Amino acid sequence: MNELLTSIRRTPYQSFTAFLVLFFTLFLSLALFTSLSFLYGILGYVETRPQVTVYFQTKTPESEIFRTRDQLVASGKILSIKYISQADAFNIYKNLNKDNPLLLEMVSADILPPSLEIYAKKPIYLPEIAEFLKKQPAVDEVQFQKDIFDRLITLTSILRKVTIVFFAYLITMSIIVLTTTTLFKIALKKEEIELLRLLGATNFYIRKPFLLEGLFMGFTASVVSFLILAGILFYLSPFLGAYLRGTPPLILDLNWTQLTVWPINPTFLAITFGLSSLFGMGIAAAASFLATNKYLKV
Amino acid sequence: MIIFNNVTKRFPLGNTALNEVSFEIADNDFVFLVGPSGAGKTTILKLIMREYTPTAGKVTVNDLKDLVALRRSIGVVFQDFKILPDKNVFENIALSLKVIGMRPAEIKTKVREALEMVNLSHKEKVFPLQLSAGELQRVAIARAIVGDRQILLADEPTGNLDPKTSWSIIKIFRKLEGKRTIIIATHNTDIVNSMQKRVFVMKDGKLTKDIKKGGYEL
Repeated sequence: MNELLTSIRRTPYQSFTAFLVLFFTLFLSLALFTSLSFLYGILGYVETRPQVTVYFQTKTPESEIFRTRDQLVASGKILSIKYISQADAFNIYKNLNKDNPLLLEMVSADILPPSLEIYAKKPIYLPEIAEFLKKQPAVDEVQFQKDIFDRLITLTSILRKVTIVFFAYLITMSIIVLTTTTLFKIALKKEEIELLRLLGATNFYIRKPFLLEGLFMGFTASVVSFLILAGILFYLSPFLGAYLRGTPPLILDLNWTQLTVWPINPTFLAITFGLSSLFGMGIAAAASFLATNKYLKV
Repeated sequence: MIIFNNVTKRFPLGNTALNEVSFEIADNDFVFLVGPSGAGKTTILKLIMREYTPTAGKVTVNDLKDLVALRRSIGVVFQDFKILPDKNVFENIALSLKVIGMRPAEIKTKVREALEMVNLSHKEKVFPLQLSAGELQRVAIARAIVGDRQILLADEPTGNLDPKTSWSIIKIFRKLEGKRTIIIATHNTDIVNSMQKRVFVMKDGKLTKDIKKGGYEL
C-alpha cells in the first residue's frame, strides 16, 4: 500500500488524469445503467396493465361475450382474460368516485358497458387481437395500449443501442487514455524495470505495481462516482416519488433474479456499486496490462 | 559451469563484438577478463546474463534454459552501478531479494549481512546521492552478492576509483573466492597481476590468451 501511494505521489498529474477519466466513464455508465433500469422497470409495469380492453354494447347478452372470450382463448395467443360485467364496472366506478356523490347519483349499472380485459402472450399479437374484436358485431369500442407500449419498447431499444455505442466509446477512450498515462509512468521507471529484469524479476512482478495502481484507481473512481449518483438519486427521490405515485414497485427482470428499482432499494444500489467497481477495475486493469505488454514486450 | 562454444556476436549495424570465442569456466572459479576497450569483455558478461543472444555458437550457463532462473543465479555489478536514486541503500540491495519473493524478515537479515560485508552497515538509510563513488560501488556489490547467487559478474568494478578504494573493493571479492564463480572485467593491471588468478585476454573480439594463473600487460 505504501509503495502504491508513493507511486501516485510521485506522478500526481498522471494519476489524477487516470482518476478523472475513470470517474467520468464510471459516472456516465452508472447514470445510463440506472436510467435504463428505471425504463425497464416502467416497461415491466406497463406490461402488467391490461393490454387490450374491449367494451361491448350495453345490451349484449353475456353468452355472446363469453363466446367471443372463448374464441380468443382458443386462438392460443392469450395469456389471460378477465370479464368485467356491468355490475363489476359499476362497483369499480363507485370505488373510483366514492368522494363525489353527485357523480354516483347520475350513473347506474345498466349504462356501463360490460368489457373484457385481455393480456396477450406477446405484444406482437395485440394488433391481430384488436382487429378480430373490432369485427365482432356486439363490440362498441376496442382500446389497446399498443402505441404506448410500442413507444416504450422503441425508446428502450434506442436507449439500449445508444448506451452500447456510448459504452464502447467510453471504454475505448478510457483504455487509450489510461494506457497512455501508464506508459508515461513506465517511461519514468524505465531504468528500474530494466534493472528488475536483469535481477531476475518475472513479468508478473514487473506488472504488479501498475496493475495494483490501476485496480486502486478503478475502485476509488467507482466509489466516488457511486456516492455522487446515490446522492443525486436520494435528492431526486421526492420528485420521482410524486411522479410515480400510484404505481407499484418498478421491477427489473434479470432472468436469474428480479430487482426492485423503485422505491430505492439497497440490493439494487449494492449490485450497481458492485458492477461499477468491477467495470472500473476491469478497465484500469486492462489498460495497465496493455501498457505493460506494449512497453515491456513481454 | 559456464561454457562458450564458438560464440560470435554481431550487431545489426555489422560490427562484430565477439568472434568465435570458446572457453569453459568451472564452478567457483575466479576469472579476470582483460583487454582494451572494445575488446569484447562486456559482451561476454552480457551474453552470460543473456542480455544479448549470440549470433552464432552456444552459451551454456549451469544448463539453465529459463531466463528468470538464469538471472536469479547471477549477481551483477554493473559498470554504471544501476543504483536507483529514489531508493535508499537498504532498499536498493533488498530489491535483489524482493524479486525472488523472499519474506521481509529474511530480506532484512540478508541485506544487513551484505552491508556488513561491504562495510556499509552505518549507511543503510542513506540515499545514493549522498554516497561517494566508492560507496556506490560497494552498494552495487552488496546487491550482487546478497542472496547467495552462484555466479558473480563485475564489469569494471574499480573503474574511476582511486587505488585505495579499488583495493578495498577487490578485498570484498576475495572474501567470496571459492564460494561462487566470479568473473571480473577490468583494465586494472595492478590488481590482476597481484591476484594471480585465471586471466582471459581479449583483443578485437577474440580470446587471445587463457592464462591459468597469472597477470598481463596492456
